[in-house]
Amino acid sequence: MDFQEFLARLQSIVGEENVVHHSDDLLVFEYDGSVDRGLPRAVVFPASTDEVSRILTLAHEAGIPVVGRGTGTGLSGGAIAPPGGIQVAFPRMNHILEVDTENRLALVEPGVINLNLDTHVRKVGLRYAPDPSSQRACSLGGNVAENAGGPHCLAYGTTTNHVLGMEVVLEDGSVVNLGSLARETVGYDLRGVFTGSEGTFGIATKIAVRLLPVPESVRTFLGIFPDVGSACTAVSAIIEHGIVPAALEMIDALTIQAVQKVSDAGYPEDAGAVLLIELEGLRDEVDEIGNEVEAALWDTGATQVRTAEAAEEREQLWVGRKGALGALGSIAPNYFLVDGVVPRTKLAQVLGQVAEISRKYDIPIANVFHAGDGNLHPCLLFDERQPGAIEKIVEAGTEVLQVCVDAGGTLTGEHGVGLEKKEQMPLVFSENDMAAMLSVREAFAPDNLLNPGKIFPDGKQHKHTAHPAAPGMTI
Amino acid sequence: MSSITDRLVGLLGADAVLPVDGYEVDGLTPQAVVRPGDRLQVSEVLRWASAERLSVLPRGGGTRTGLGNVPQSADLVLDLGGLNQLVDYQPADMTATVEAGVTLASLQQQLAPGGEFVPLESALPSRSTVGGALSVGAGGPLAHAYGLPREWLIGIGVISPQGVATKAGGKVVKNVTGYDLDKLYTGSLGTLGVIVEASFKLLPIDPEAGALMASFPSLSASITAGRKLLHSPAAPLGYHCVTSGVSPRLPDFLQTASQDLGLGETGSILSLAFFSGRAKATSRRLEEAAALLLAEGANTVQQIEGSVSSGMLGWISDAPSEMSPDSALVMKLSVQTKSATSVSAECGEITLFGERPEQMTDPGFGSIRLFWPKTTGDTGEQQFLETIQQIRQIAHQHGGSAIVEQCPLPIKRGIDVWGDPLDSLAVMRRIKDKFDPGGILNPGRFLGGI
Repeated sequence: MDFQEFLARLQSIVGEENVVHHSDDLLVFEYDGSVDRGLPRAVVFPASTDEVSRILTLAHEAGIPVVGRGTGTGLSGGAIAPPGGIQVAFPRMNHILEVDTENRLALVEPGVINLNLDTHVRKVGLRYAPDPSSQRACSLGGNVAENAGGPHCLAYGTTTNHVLGMEVVLEDGSVVNLGSLARETVGYDLRGVFTGSEGTFGIATKIAVRLLPVPESVRTFLGIFPDVGSACTAVSAIIEHGIVPAALEMIDALTIQAVQKVSDAGYPEDAGAVLLIELEGLRDEVDEIGNEVEAALWDTGATQVRTAEAAEEREQLWVGRKGALGALGSIAPNYFLVDGVVPRTKLAQVLGQVAEISRKYDIPIANVFHAGDGNLHPCLLFDERQPGAIEKIVEAGTEVLQVCVDAGGTLTGEHGVGLEKKEQMPLVFSENDMAAMLSVREAFAPDNLLNPGKIFPDGKQHKHTAHPAAPGMTI
Repeated sequence: MSSITDRLVGLLGADAVLPVDGYEVDGLTPQAVVRPGDRLQVSEVLRWASAERLSVLPRGGGTRTGLGNVPQSADLVLDLGGLNQLVDYQPADMTATVEAGVTLASLQQQLAPGGEFVPLESALPSRSTVGGALSVGAGGPLAHAYGLPREWLIGIGVISPQGVATKAGGKVVKNVTGYDLDKLYTGSLGTLGVIVEASFKLLPIDPEAGALMASFPSLSASITAGRKLLHSPAAPLGYHCVTSGVSPRLPDFLQTASQDLGLGETGSILSLAFFSGRAKATSRRLEEAAALLLAEGANTVQQIEGSVSSGMLGWISDAPSEMSPDSALVMKLSVQTKSATSVSAECGEITLFGERPEQMTDPGFGSIRLFWPKTTGDTGEQQFLETIQQIRQIAHQHGGSAIVEQCPLPIKRGIDVWGDPLDSLAVMRRIKDKFDPGGILNPGRFLGGI
């Protein structure tokens, strides 16, 4: 089958208006939130499971690689089209099919935007806990593919802890159900291994997620610290008190400067670090633990502590953190974002090493991260117009990952391996470890037509292109 | 001495080879039992067994040996009890790495000085091992709050059937590097590889615990009240209802507390709710929950102090194992939580040789255990099959599944204890074939005869 015939058959499945194939129109699908690019040969917008199934059956027959694409906010190149491949995107499959308050679950299509689901279920006193910072834009299908995290995953776990079941379409177009609406299922935990498989196992067409009750009380604390070291001590002190906050976030001096340049988040210009802590639960508990948190912040050298309970005031404390990545655009045209994780006790040490790498390469590095679970987000700032800049950044980024791994950590906490970190996989996993993983992929997708060329090293360094730091980008 | 035993003595030394007594699985006596002292020895045994095409049945504490289908064969039992070291525990990181043969009780004891615990629950924790609990992968009495073992596992070390050491995940609490094989191994009943090591994320031990015991005039009243409680701000970590055939098994230390509940009356239902947290919040929860249960029709409600409540939690966790010897048939259903009331009512009508089942219901997690008592003389196979089929239909109608946890061996040989095949079974089979092409690990014991 030649590509023209393939296109015609795609069009017959979803209608001409739902297949993008002119090169100008395809440009917007060339990239995601990472530094990688790849032009798809076509992008198709199905409206139903049946259409997804027919698309995959056709692509399988034609031997054309396919990748599901959510909204393109991914940060590791997961949704970048494989060479010669097409994208299946879900703007038409964006329905919340059911909210079951008695079972506390929602059944959604993959194109539903994360925040829309949360906002919708809050009307009935429930919430969807995983909250990637891109939650205003990212979709549940993409969240499942990447096992997305977010600030509140510290207390509630990542996407995988909230997915009960899925309907997925496999490489050959067959439709299977993984997990169930019950909390326990029989057989292998396929929905567990599917979640975070970065689009290489199948395409989820319906997703059942758990909903949690909205807590009785929420309180946010913002602590200003003279330096990152003392803020890290505060993190340890909180955890030593037997406290697991709902969220525990940090931003460093360079980020604070960037944030303040864009809009006044109320941070002192000379602040060395800002720590954001959110507590949730019964009012009595939030009061008691809140006092301990506040004391711990002062004890470890905070120069200012602010608290807020009303939703709007809390939002105000979060503004700087949530706008941090976009604000970096005010100090550099481009950034390269690393997603390494380290044991919580190694935070201060590793941040010190990251600062050394920054000096060694003469690259400014801003840190905005999930301190509570040791998930760093060093942002390497650069200007892509300078010759050799990207190569230097990628090299420095690899060094940062090496430091994380040496400290007992890993390559990625929530962004995925994708194209970006596949060549670094051997830093963490042996040939045998990866062979075991690949055998699961072979079981799901024997012909390797779903998002091929991702996650595992193949010596093919993808062509990097810089992504401009811009307002609205989030981590 | 069989030649298999000779070869194992040659491989690992005489100390590692144990008598086969007590290691029978579903009436099959293994040809040999081996207890390696470390993961290298596990590798050696598996490499050899793989080459010889011997079937291998991994074993932890032997508390759930009856779970799963009758094995196709049982050449070798691989006892992981020798791998019993806490490898790494950093209280400040709130993570721990442990060998698979460590018992749950021992692990919790070693974490307690750090003020932490792993929310990994299993019956008989002084025998049940980490590797066993992961392989079974089931939820415990507080699963409503803590979920399944899968939620807490952050890294795993596994020896493949060919003897190759592999790992997945890591030692950090958030990790999407590579496929999440942790999830695949958890609940795979040792059919894909032998778990030798596991890393967990931990939780701080709450300063205050407490519980409520209540009696209700009927099971449906207890479940309905429980669901209201579970959806209230005073929500417990777990809520359980047990029928009158189960409650007389309460241990002595709870008998006094339970005397005022009037459980002796026919049909009265014992309900238990477990709480923990900071002192003040826990008191508030206990108070509000007691008021709610009374308002929802409880006959009486009794508050249980912290130290006694942990014993009570142990009891409800172990109760299924205690009920088993007197039961002809034990089934466990997992259904949508909202269906607990109707499923419980429907199942209560399904008889075996004229007897209705005793029930243990967890309406917060959607888990229901049914115990049909042993009756003298009745062994009609058709009766068992009909009862099992009826229960499965009920489970399916409510979006769930029903597994047979215990039944007479002749019945077990003829059924798949896990239930009807799923539409994803083909993928599961392909995974099994990739991981264990020789089919040596626990052959036939898993869903669909995997």
